[in-house]
Amino acid sequence: MSKNIGKVVQVIGTVVDVEFPQENLPEIYNALELKVNGEKLVLEVEQHVGNNWARCLALGATEGVSRGIEVKDTGAAVSVPVGEASLGRIFNVLGDALDDLGDVNAKERWPIHRPAPTFEQQKGSTEVLETGIKVFDLITPFSKGGKVGAYGGAGVGKTVIITELIRNIAQEHSGVSVFAGVGERSREGNDLWHEMKDYGVLDSTALVFGQMNEPPGTRARIALTGLTMAEYFREVGKQDVLLFVDNVYRYTLAGMEVSALLGRMPSAVGYQPTLATEMGDLQERITSTVDGSITSFQAVYVPADDYTDPGIVTTFGHLDASISLERSLAAQALFPAVDPLASNSRIMEPGIVGEEHYNVARQVQEVLQRFKDLQDVIAILGIEELSEEDREVVFRARKIQRFLTQPFHVGEVFTGIPGKYVKVEDTIKGFKEILSGQHDDLPEQAFYMIGTIDEAVEKAKTLKG
Amino acid sequence: MPNLRELSSRIRSIESTSRVTKALQMIAAAKMKKAQDKVLEGRAYSEKLNSIIANVYESNPEVFLTDSESLSEKSLILLVTPDRGLCGALVSNILKEASKFIESMKADNYEIRVIGKKGTSFVSKLNNEYESFKVSDMPTFEEVSPITGNISNDINSNGFSKVFILYTEFISTAVQKPKIKQLLPIELDINDSERSNNEFLYEPNLDKVSKALIPRYVETSIFNSILDSVASEHSARLVAMQNATDNANELKEDLTLDLNKARQQQVTSEILDIIGGALALEE
Repeated sequence: MSKNIGKVVQVIGTVVDVEFPQENLPEIYNALELKVNGEKLVLEVEQHVGNNWARCLALGATEGVSRGIEVKDTGAAVSVPVGEASLGRIFNVLGDALDDLGDVNAKERWPIHRPAPTFEQQKGSTEVLETGIKVFDLITPFSKGGKVGAYGGAGVGKTVIITELIRNIAQEHSGVSVFAGVGERSREGNDLWHEMKDYGVLDSTALVFGQMNEPPGTRARIALTGLTMAEYFREVGKQDVLLFVDNVYRYTLAGMEVSALLGRMPSAVGYQPTLATEMGDLQERITSTVDGSITSFQAVYVPADDYTDPGIVTTFGHLDASISLERSLAAQALFPAVDPLASNSRIMEPGIVGEEHYNVARQVQEVLQRFKDLQDVIAILGIEELSEEDREVVFRARKIQRFLTQPFHVGEVFTGIPGKYVKVEDTIKGFKEILSGQHDDLPEQAFYMIGTIDEAVEKAKTLKG
Repeated sequence: MPNLRELSSRIRSIESTSRVTKALQMIAAAKMKKAQDKVLEGRAYSEKLNSIIANVYESNPEVFLTDSESLSEKSLILLVTPDRGLCGALVSNILKEASKFIESMKADNYEIRVIGKKGTSFVSKLNNEYESFKVSDMPTFEEVSPITGNISNDINSNGFSKVFILYTEFISTAVQKPKIKQLLPIELDINDSERSNNEFLYEPNLDKVSKALIPRYVETSIFNSILDSVASEHSARLVAMQNATDNANELKEDLTLDLNKARQQQVTSEILDIIGGALALEE
């Protein structure tokens, strides 16, 4: 095909319209290239708007782009390096290395827009993945090859949880991991790179970043870049891959920022009308197939702590386990601030996790639910008005709330308390003992920020002095 | 954004709770005054009685010993509690004290008599023999005397070596304390100043006087402890309900604020949606 050259006819912020010769309009999702001030700028075709115009999303800053500039059609979608060469490196949305480690010598490059696996290719999994974090292992057991979402408003600890999961799982996990930083603080990329180096997992990890300093086009595509790299390991390498995404909501938000510019009428709360489609395009690809699995951990920002926000609701359905982080718990310094009543997992069934685990988890939720129901009564009439049984429930619930906290390895530098990894059996044993009233005599404080239940007994002794 | 319907239903339920607590508060206020007066009036009589007992005791401590042949090892515990809750920590305080006291006793070495529903449900769990009585929440002497007489006869016929009353002592509207009083053998804590140094002559004799005096002393003490408990209950309820009403109102205010915010937010976002849609169509 001869060189297909078009001209810029309109620039609206991050959306650029390009006119091509008749019959030579580039296909949707094709990458176009232009030079602005000597720098390469890549555009992605989103729409054909008539008059041989292609409406494009800029994957970079559009400052300096003017009408009449020549635009070259590359004839294919944006492609990124995949395979061994991508490990240990940091990439941007276009697959260019961001670190100072030279060129990436990848044998293959894959386009970032790919179809989702078909029904026949998909494979469910019911194998439990231990995280070493009590509240997750108890209430929301993760499945190998499953999708986990950590929901939370601003500053309740989503990123900390994702980083701790990287520390606990990626370190134990023998396969490869991919981390996609989507629209979060750019400083975090730097921190993460150093941390991964310290844990020794960098060599088996590919990192991609399109953080909040980038234009919306980049943020809307960076998750796909990371996902494509993970897909290669799944399909070609036939490996089990871990995919960490922080933060999926920024993907939606970036789509929302460009939606109106692309000429789409805003839908409820200003979201793009294609909200569910966009989310489906991304999430349907993050799945386990007969070849290999992708276990994904996604942080999801909840705007204004509103779980009914359309942007949040569309992600819920895609996930196997969802963790809800609650501001009121974070305010009480109960970290991780996971709300055990609002969090759930698809594999929380006696047939998968075992009868004992299931019963303990449900009883923990019952006690906490009862405590929640009693809270208004306590607020109005005082705890003294409760019956003996209810008072017992309240005291145990408070102990359970504290025992659900755990010091994190990644938080060690802030809290000074060494992180704890707790095995599932120890977690269940601990909660079972609290529920049975075995530790009714210990002070609440003894259960705060510890690992196993034995530590509570120890801590109670030191508290007594 | 919290759910509007959820918030308004919570506000409604708190409102009705506060209405109930407000009503209970007013009832308690009316009853409290009467009950307090009664306690204070009764105290004068019992103080006088105590001082007479003290005098008798001074002159001959031995007359207070029950006939030794019928004396059993057992003790009697009389627990006086309210019928109803919603009076703050009062019930749990007296029951806590009671369970501590009962634990300190040797098993099978005591019998329990209990007045009031709260205490009855408490002792029914103890697996011990007990008998329960009921008094109204404004007891009169006529009403209580069959019960006190009953207990007093009980003491005589069973020959309990020790008798304790557990009740809530009324100190003031704000302060009530659970108290364990040893009724028999008589323990007097009367100051020296109250003790008269006069020598008394007893007619017909000391023995007969003390025989008549002791049941009267027992019955009066029980009646007084019931009055104390009732006054304490109403006072505690007044304070507890006052606090509850205040708390409910505070909670209601907070929730109303949340509700208004949430509603305003909803209105704003709907307007934004409409404006956004209209502007997009204009293009």
